[in-house]
Amino acid sequence: MTDKTIASNRSSGLLFALKRVPWARILIWFLLIVMLVFCVMPLVFMVTASMMPASDIIKMPYRWIPRDFHVENYVKAIKGNDGSFTFPRNILNSLIVALTVAFTTVLLASLTGYGLAKFRFRGRNFVFMMIMATMMIPFEAIMIPLYMVATGLHIQNTYLGLILPFLVSAFGVFQMRQYLLTFPGEFLDAARVDGMGEIGIFTKIVLPNCTPVIATLGILSFRGQWDNLLWPLLIVQDEKMKTIPLYISKFAEEKATDEGAMMAVAVLASIPMFILFFALSKYFIGGAAVYESRKG
Amino acid sequence: MKKTTYRGIEKKQARWGVAFVVPSVLFFCLFSFYPIINAMFTSLFDKRILSLAAPKFLGLGNYIYIFKSASFWNSMRATLVFTLGTFIPLLVFSLMFATFIYNICGRRSRGFFQIAYYTPAVLSSVVAAAIWLLILAPPGLGNQVLNWLCRTPGVDRKWLANGTMLQFSTMLVYFWKYIGYFVILFITGLATIPPTIYEAATIDGSSKWQSFWRITVPLLKPTILLVSVMAMLQCLKTFSTQYLFTQSGGAAQDPINVITLNIYETGIRNQRIGRASAMSIVLFVIMLVLTFAQFKISKSDDVDY
Amino acid sequence: MKKAIIILTIVALIAPMALFAQGSKEASGPITIKFWTHEDVNRNPLELQYIAEFEAANPNVKVEYTTQASGKMADIVQTAFAANQGPTIFNLPISDEYAYIVNGRVAPVDAKAAGYADYQAIKSAYVDGTLDSVTVDGKIYGLPLELTNWAILLNKGIFRDAGLDPNKDYPKTWEDMVAVSEKIIQRDGDIITRRGFDFRYGYYLEWLVPMVEQLGGKLISDDGKTAIVGDDAWLKVLTFMQQWGPNGKNLGSSTYTAARKLFNKNNGDIAMALTGYYQTARISEENPEFYASGDLMVIPFPQFKDAVKEVANCYYGHFYMVNAQASKAEQEAAWKLIGYLLSHGDEYLDKAALPQPTKKLFESPEYKAKPYTDVFSADMEKAHIMYYSENSAEMQKLLKSAVESVMLSGVSPEKALATLKASAQELIDEN
Repeated sequence: MTDKTIASNRSSGLLFALKRVPWARILIWFLLIVMLVFCVMPLVFMVTASMMPASDIIKMPYRWIPRDFHVENYVKAIKGNDGSFTFPRNILNSLIVALTVAFTTVLLASLTGYGLAKFRFRGRNFVFMMIMATMMIPFEAIMIPLYMVATGLHIQNTYLGLILPFLVSAFGVFQMRQYLLTFPGEFLDAARVDGMGEIGIFTKIVLPNCTPVIATLGILSFRGQWDNLLWPLLIVQDEKMKTIPLYISKFAEEKATDEGAMMAVAVLASIPMFILFFALSKYFIGGAAVYESRKG
Repeated sequence: MKKTTYRGIEKKQARWGVAFVVPSVLFFCLFSFYPIINAMFTSLFDKRILSLAAPKFLGLGNYIYIFKSASFWNSMRATLVFTLGTFIPLLVFSLMFATFIYNICGRRSRGFFQIAYYTPAVLSSVVAAAIWLLILAPPGLGNQVLNWLCRTPGVDRKWLANGTMLQFSTMLVYFWKYIGYFVILFITGLATIPPTIYEAATIDGSSKWQSFWRITVPLLKPTILLVSVMAMLQCLKTFSTQYLFTQSGGAAQDPINVITLNIYETGIRNQRIGRASAMSIVLFVIMLVLTFAQFKISKSDDVDY
Repeated sequence: MKKAIIILTIVALIAPMALFAQGSKEASGPITIKFWTHEDVNRNPLELQYIAEFEAANPNVKVEYTTQASGKMADIVQTAFAANQGPTIFNLPISDEYAYIVNGRVAPVDAKAAGYADYQAIKSAYVDGTLDSVTVDGKIYGLPLELTNWAILLNKGIFRDAGLDPNKDYPKTWEDMVAVSEKIIQRDGDIITRRGFDFRYGYYLEWLVPMVEQLGGKLISDDGKTAIVGDDAWLKVLTFMQQWGPNGKNLGSSTYTAARKLFNKNNGDIAMALTGYYQTARISEENPEFYASGDLMVIPFPQFKDAVKEVANCYYGHFYMVNAQASKAEQEAAWKLIGYLLSHGDEYLDKAALPQPTKKLFESPEYKAKPYTDVFSADMEKAHIMYYSENSAEMQKLLKSAVESVMLSGVSPEKALATLKASAQELIDEN
């Protein structure tokens, strides 16, 4: 719509005077800000509601500024309704799982992506297509057989059980392969001529040239695990091994939980993700689709 | 494959290639192919989740059943509506906002908008659903903001109650969550288009609107393809928003009973794992076909700079 | 290429097999009992204490006690059983547990280990009929952790605030319920800010079926061959629900905060909620002021004005059951533990407000002297156990879909009934 206004302004030429006033610019800025409000408002709601007693949260109209900091919400969120303090441990579990998965995904995906992009061997395309096909498998479809694999390995209630099914993702392999396809082969050949081993080439030449895509992939994998609800729900029953999404969903179901405490948990659970995101936003924003930028 | 052209070095290299690929292949065999083959096998039986007795072989019975069942077609409808209603606005708006940000903003505000639009994606779905359920509840912010904007105090928009609004609400949450991610993808894509092309176009006398359609869109094709495939697959696989809305939000299930939710209900709650497997295989095939179609369509005319 | 495909396929198929080849080992030495139960702030600490005592008395037994969110419990237990990795001891509502009995997944009670001479001794220890749902072919498959029915909790303060006398004006019929709710309700435009009463959405087998039965309808005919009997009764109840919802008189709906959750807070949001006796323990814990104020009152489940039969809210049981795949020694230890836990019936009642239907407890003066138990007991007399069968979860879903379609999606009660009838019939014909 807005582009249309630009177009008609330009092509007609009749409204030359109007062109002096940057209507299109004003409109675009307005739209950008509307979208900004839409994106950020629920977050502002989360943070402000976490400081209010429940009665203020469901009252109309919503008061955006908390009367005072209702600390009880946060105390309850960390202590739990039964006072068992499993929250810190669950955060730690989530961190361990998400960091490990981010690391293994980056490692295995870059290894595989490199192998698929830069080596020729029989069945290469077949392997690539098969890996791509796994992206189309809905998790709900394989949940039970997967659970049987996991129990066959006796890894319930362990970190291994939480991590193993997510060691590498098809999307990661795809992303690394696409990125490395455009990697100049001459570098690799030159290194080989210099007598460098294949593993050396991978760690010393390939990996250092992939930092942006690695950062992106790492964050995405971390996020995926930080968000994972269904699998941990099945594989972990022990309080000590539960991850944050499990803590939140259990907390939400407990009768003694009110809206304020719920939002406090939401805020606390989001903090590590926000820290990671802002710390790495430089890579992320530049590199979300980095493999394309190399084509240009 | 060109077997005879392999020479010593190449053969050795091929071995390295295989060695690099093998760990992931083993992983996918165990955690993706085995389960899906298992699901295919199960879909041929009347398997109940708790039953210890040998399940009855049905052949294609489960498939015939689901293709006749109203609940399955309702799920197909819900999934289709959700996918189209989410993925088209996502594509259009993210391209639109990316173009705005790229063309209007300075370097610093560009970064600011990208980060701000992306923040919702940082929240986990459980948290996002908890926030949105409070917003969309009758006394929540959703009604308040809309009534304030429209000057209609006291109207209940029935975000979670009315069937149409409920579908819209799930789309809204999804849109909110992913818009930032796709805006970033498009901005990165836009940045790869050499500015000289635009300059040439301006000299030729084409308007901004024309150059958007003639230059930006064709050159962005790889990004558009990537975004559309990803968004489409994500939408077809959507689960958590619908699950949490119906489980903890008191929302009606039928309007948003997407196929994954139906699979979960049929397989776990209703214990009919054979029938649920048949549904998953159908979903798997649909996703495969759609993805290949998208790749095929776009491959027919690849872009050159 | 072809070779590669063949090799890969073989690897794909064999790799997982190798995993399962290890098989399960028979446990020897110390016995470990996996105990899964739902989260209950009042009950869990109590049981942990008994378990500690039990472990001290039986040093060769180790109990792993884990709690789950109650809404997810059924799914988790089921998945574990599907992979033959179920817990040794678990509990679920009887409607979910029945399938475990039918499929032979749970072991019959080991009477000796549980502290009884034989089955007859167990039967005579419990109130008549309370073990019927877990008795198949003369064998008993579970012992009750609780047997609960729901009645209506009432907040006198809100009644007075609305100019009503709670002792006189409390709703006796469903028609009263609408009238009283209309007096209490406060709205901001269409948006409700204070409700008179609201239902417990999602649990239709528990309260919707008795409403239908009051009018002479039935979920399933006595011969078990026809589903949804008595169109008039069903139509009337579905119309009642439609009128209750936002498209009718707008008295409440499932999209508002659950009534029983708001009720405890006594914030002037809701005057009545449908819930069990256990809720009184939660109120005394969460909001002792409200509990002590004397504004809490319990009234019986209302009846329709033209009811042909007095039926109260169904009761349901949570039974402790033992995995049939556990080793003999584990099963024995498990029943021993359950027997020990359940021997503390009075404390379950005191600390967690969970009535276990033993004759000893139900007939004790202590039980009768407890506040509010009289109404629940009287209603229990007029109630029957909720519908339980292998497909009760599916039946619950069908009722849910029918009620939601009339209340929220604007489907006519006639059409909703036709859909419900067809799908419920298909469901019972299958089995």
